Amino acid sequence: MKVEARTYASLSAPGEQAGEPREVELREAGTVADLISALGIEAADVHLVIVDGRISHRRDEPLRGGARVALFPAVGGG
Amino acid sequence: MDRLLRVNMTDRTAKFEPIPSAYASRAGRWLTSSLVHDEVPATCHPLGPRNKVVFSPGFVTGTAAPTSSRISVGGKSPLTGGIKEANAGTGWGRRLARLGIRAVVVEGQPERDGGFWMLKIDAKGVSFEPADALTGKKLSEMVPGLAARYGGRDKVDVCAIGVAGEHKMGAAGVCFTDREGRATRYAGRGGLGAALGSKGLKAIVVDDSGAAEVPIADKAKFDQGRKKLAAALGEHAITKPKGALNAYGTAVLVNILNEAGGLPTRNFRSGRFEGATKIAGEAIFAGNKERVGKDVYNHPCSPGCIIGCSNTWHKRDGSEHTSCIEYESDWAFGANCGIDDLDQIAELNLLCNEYGLDTIEIGGTLAVAAEGGVWKFGDGKRAIELVREIADATPLGRILGNGALVTGRAFGVTRVPHVKGQNMPAYEPRAIKGIGMTYAVSTMGADHTSGYTIAPEILGVSGKLDPLNPQKTDLARNFQYATAFIDSTGHCLFIAFAILDIASGFEGVVEECAGVLGTDWTMNDVARIGKAVLDLELDFNRQAGFTAADDRLPEFMLHEKLPPHDGVWDVPDEEIDRVFD
Ligand code: SF4
Repeated sequence: MKVEARTYASLSAPGEQAGEPREVELREAGTVADLISALGIEAADVHLVIVDGRISHRRDEPLRGGARVALFPAVGGG
Repeated sequence: MDRLLRVNMTDRTAKFEPIPSAYASRAGRWLTSSLVHDEVPATCHPLGPRNKVVFSPGFVTGTAAPTSSRISVGGKSPLTGGIKEANAGTGWGRRLARLGIRAVVVEGQPERDGGFWMLKIDAKGVSFEPADALTGKKLSEMVPGLAARYGGRDKVDVCAIGVAGEHKMGAAGVCFTDREGRATRYAGRGGLGAALGSKGLKAIVVDDSGAAEVPIADKAKFDQGRKKLAAALGEHAITKPKGALNAYGTAVLVNILNEAGGLPTRNFRSGRFEGATKIAGEAIFAGNKERVGKDVYNHPCSPGCIIGCSNTWHKRDGSEHTSCIEYESDWAFGANCGIDDLDQIAELNLLCNEYGLDTIEIGGTLAVAAEGGVWKFGDGKRAIELVREIADATPLGRILGNGALVTGRAFGVTRVPHVKGQNMPAYEPRAIKGIGMTYAVSTMGADHTSGYTIAPEILGVSGKLDPLNPQKTDLARNFQYATAFIDSTGHCLFIAFAILDIASGFEGVVEECAGVLGTDWTMNDVARIGKAVLDLELDFNRQAGFTAADDRLPEFMLHEKLPPHDGVWDVPDEEIDRVFD
């Protein structure tokens, strides 16, 4: 299945625009953790995961085909 | 820190008084809210002679405590009619603290229009100078010259109101100089600039030459605390050097809130903005890099800040356009006005800084005006003209300058996202329930800085909660108590990201304060002090006539579904009423 991944802030590769949607092929019911490793991102660098607008608190959360998944490092502001 | 300076604008006199013993261990927001509560009749007209504008540096402001140069400003709000505390990062309060002045109380009003005056405070005392020649100007044209006249930015910091304050507009903020002497740091919300304008006070220049160090009762305890805090700030991914705040600024939140469906767009019609990535902190970083030719990290707004979240946006030719485009301002003119062009957002931000306007209220007002047919969402050029019109004080400009609620009434708009007359900031309550509760009950009107529940609800700081879960009563209360304490210390609220996650950092803050004052405070005193502050503010608002009916979100949010989650505001009124019961 395919999911739509977006990386932000320091998680974007150099030269890549933050939030550029990217299709990633995962096994059926692949998890957030699978996506992070498919993207080649250090798991510890990912602090916040948002799946289809919902904050995901579990790395073993299975994804649905076509899910919009956003990955962020630790960020703050006001 | 032992004196209170009372400035009477009726007869233009000033006198120093000892700090009343009841206030012996109060400072910052605790002291400004105490003075407003105890001295300002709650039913007075906020622009009349009985209102007062009060300034107070925090407990540790002026010391070596990191990130502690905040000044608290209080009064009865011309925008909400309730109590107001707004604070800013600036060397101004630091100089006041070093002069041993724990509070400045500006009271009275000239009986007839007596023009504008300014105040000069230094080690020798206080003097009034005529200030009519300073009026009607952009703050960037007026403030540096004024600072230069008194020895330059190394010697003085300036507090001033802009033309919006001169015209007594509800969206007028109080401006302070930043570390570079730019007139850009605001105690922005609630119209306190109008209250100063109503008293004919245009500016206050503070020169701390010759001042002694801020006395510290227990130096060992203070130093221990300060080091613990510095360690926490230096370690946490959000606050450390080149960490999230330093690299991307607060505007890094644009993409997060957009992904979470909580970024209010086009006057709170949607929780997602299709132009979010173009205006976010990452785009500011990338745009600056392209225009300046190197990575531009953010800078401290005020002396002693080791977080340094304040950004600068550059023009195409690499010259400075504006500082700082905060998340709130970026959102207010960007997503909320449907504008996805950073140069236009920067110009709107700059104009608000020039005219002395609160960016959140003005962005919200423009959005309501667009809803009322005054202009079209996304037309940045027209938005810029409208903000100029505020400075010209045309009839339309005066309506806009008085904020979103007044503008909604003038143009028949029922969808005004406000609480107690203050426009909501950049978090959608229908998608983030705890912040909605905070907006509802905050003594300030809709205000995210009253209790930043976004930390656990969205950012995964100090816990991980589901933003859509409406059970947030305790959260809303506890965050407001902790915040009222931090606002009294003189620290910037952004230390919260580190100290909510790293307990020793929070202990350090308490030890710093106890060290300065010579008290035996522990972590157990944080909520006690926070509650004491809130109780004063709640009591003032009750006396001013506010009831539970004012602690409500606007009606349209109860039935209008917000995409993408399609939720409505569903927190029961009884739960809201329990927050401070
Ligand atoms: S963290 Fe940012 S807003 Fe706070 S004092 Fe430092 S630069 Fe100013």
